[in-house]
Amino acid sequence: MNFKKIQRIAGLMMILGLFSCTSDDVYETIPADSLFPLKIPSNFPQIAQNIDNNFPTQNGVALGRKLFYDGRLSRDNSVSCAFCHEQQSAFTHHGHDLSHGIDNLTGKRNAPSVQNMIFQSEYFYDGASNSIQMLSIVPIHNPLEMDESLPTIVEKLKQDAQYVQLFKAAFSNGDVSSSNLLNALAQFMTIMISADSKYDKYIRNEDGGNFDQQELKGLNLFKNNCASCHETDLFTDNSFRNNGLPPNSKLNDLGREEVTGFRTDRYKFKVPSLRNVELTAPYMHDGRFGSLQSVLNFYSNGVQQTENLDPLLQNNSHIGIPLTQEEKEALIAFLKTLTDYDFVKNPLFYHKT
Amino acid sequence: MKKNIQTFAWLFSAGSLFVACNNDDNSTIIEENTFGAAELYFDNGVNGDKLVLGSLYTNSNGETLTINRFNYIISNIVLIKADGTEYIYPKAKSYFIISEEADLHTVQLENIPAGDYVKVRFGLGVDQQKYLEGETAQQEFWDYAVQHNLTWTWSTGYRFINFEGTFKPAHAAKHEDHEEPGTGTPGLFNFQIHQGSNTATDNYREITLNLPTTARIRQTDKPSIHIVADANKITDGQNKIVLQDNLNAAGTNASIMGGENLIKIAENTLQMFFVDHVHNGSGSHH
Repeated sequence: MNFKKIQRIAGLMMILGLFSCTSDDVYETIPADSLFPLKIPSNFPQIAQNIDNNFPTQNGVALGRKLFYDGRLSRDNSVSCAFCHEQQSAFTHHGHDLSHGIDNLTGKRNAPSVQNMIFQSEYFYDGASNSIQMLSIVPIHNPLEMDESLPTIVEKLKQDAQYVQLFKAAFSNGDVSSSNLLNALAQFMTIMISADSKYDKYIRNEDGGNFDQQELKGLNLFKNNCASCHETDLFTDNSFRNNGLPPNSKLNDLGREEVTGFRTDRYKFKVPSLRNVELTAPYMHDGRFGSLQSVLNFYSNGVQQTENLDPLLQNNSHIGIPLTQEEKEALIAFLKTLTDYDFVKNPLFYHKT
Repeated sequence: MKKNIQTFAWLFSAGSLFVACNNDDNSTIIEENTFGAAELYFDNGVNGDKLVLGSLYTNSNGETLTINRFNYIISNIVLIKADGTEYIYPKAKSYFIISEEADLHTVQLENIPAGDYVKVRFGLGVDQQKYLEGETAQQEFWDYAVQHNLTWTWSTGYRFINFEGTFKPAHAAKHEDHEEPGTGTPGLFNFQIHQGSNTATDNYREITLNLPTTARIRQTDKPSIHIVADANKITDGQNKIVLQDNLNAAGTNASIMGGENLIKIAENTLQMFFVDHVHNGSGSHH
């Protein structure tokens, strides 16, 4: 055995020795984790996602929340999820018909609400994702929104000692990784359940659920005119339909066809949940209507026979949903009972600095 | 004796001159360690005209604006003397809101060292140092700003200026399609200009203005510094911002809330203010 080889081995052993010293000297306390007490509202439809393989935990939710509000998920560190999904407007982009993202680029769709995600089978107006764990990939990669990639985000977060700790605390393998990042965001979105509106209290016979005459009339009108698409206490049947909006040629949005490629899906968009609709103006996939009154005016007088118009809007050769102004006002009064003030003020969903 | 009398006479007359001056104008004396108050009054205008919400104003881009909202944040006030010494108003108390719709026009300043001041400096918006203190540290001002539509969300920060209304472009758009603008009226569009900082750019600016008349702050004298803010400068300053060029992809409204435009507007706002006059004396305002 020559001297050089001994030197090299000795050198290697020293380095290894240093490493082992380091890991002994620095003992990090990792906070214990526990399952999040998830309450499923009794009046809601079935959960539509598999949450057992990523059930929310306290540490997972805390990490997901921090990520949701962190601009580092975008290329220039300026656009977080919360940029377009603002809590006080039920996680929509207040006042924006179309959102602007990175470099002030404008997208072509209105930011949908992030609420009750586990009760939805598909996400985005065109159903681009069917998985609560995967959906975050879409806005992160969209060049008009965050224009970033998961591996780059992971590299950024690895430089942040606080994130390294949070990932260790939230996941058994403790890695700052793409899959853990997506899972943390999914856990945060899982707990964002909105089910304590005046309507919920009415339906579940709880205090604070007294509907007045107009609201009751509105509820009835809703059941007879709207609930075939805006079905269940989630107020959506999770399907894709063309409701007769005249296409905006400046946007040229083909809707569901852009995902499936089927001509029969042209101009079909996801039926959104109407929960918190009072707070989520402007309305429709391109935010073209600024008020609920405009929306109802459209349904009574503005529906057009475009390609793939939904059969439910073609009754007895009448296109649309005939409504008097009085009926529209009652419907609006009812829709306002879907506002859940606790949801938009819940500190669990807010990252306060 | 003659000399003494002469001396006394001289002293006496000088003394009475002194006393006489005192009676006429005792605020020339600046007593040490005394303090007074001052106010900055912001008079909002448009290119020389008074700003009246709902009225029409045509700018040099040929666009006719109806302004429905003009709110902004004034901060970090500094009063400057002729020799250059600065009184920096305590930072924690130095954030104010001016709002045309809420009739908020005045910044009230207290406990300022008595003195003669010839310049004022203030910030338009919220500086990064303040913002980085976090939401909890400034909850009161944040909530106040929320009430006056001068915030986005915490993570996206304050709106330094909220300037909104409708506009008619210089040249009507071609009607290839039948979409209505967001206003529902053909040819009339909404605009929203929300100045602010973002992680890419710090659009906070400080503006130093000369006072045409020295502001005399005394225990008993409170000056009112009358500042004119020209809203027209936002789109029609040294940088021209044509609202029609900034219509969104749907063609419904011009929404300027980020990017290069805010940097141009920040530059424009450096010329947006001037001190029209200073009332000295009682400082009570009309």
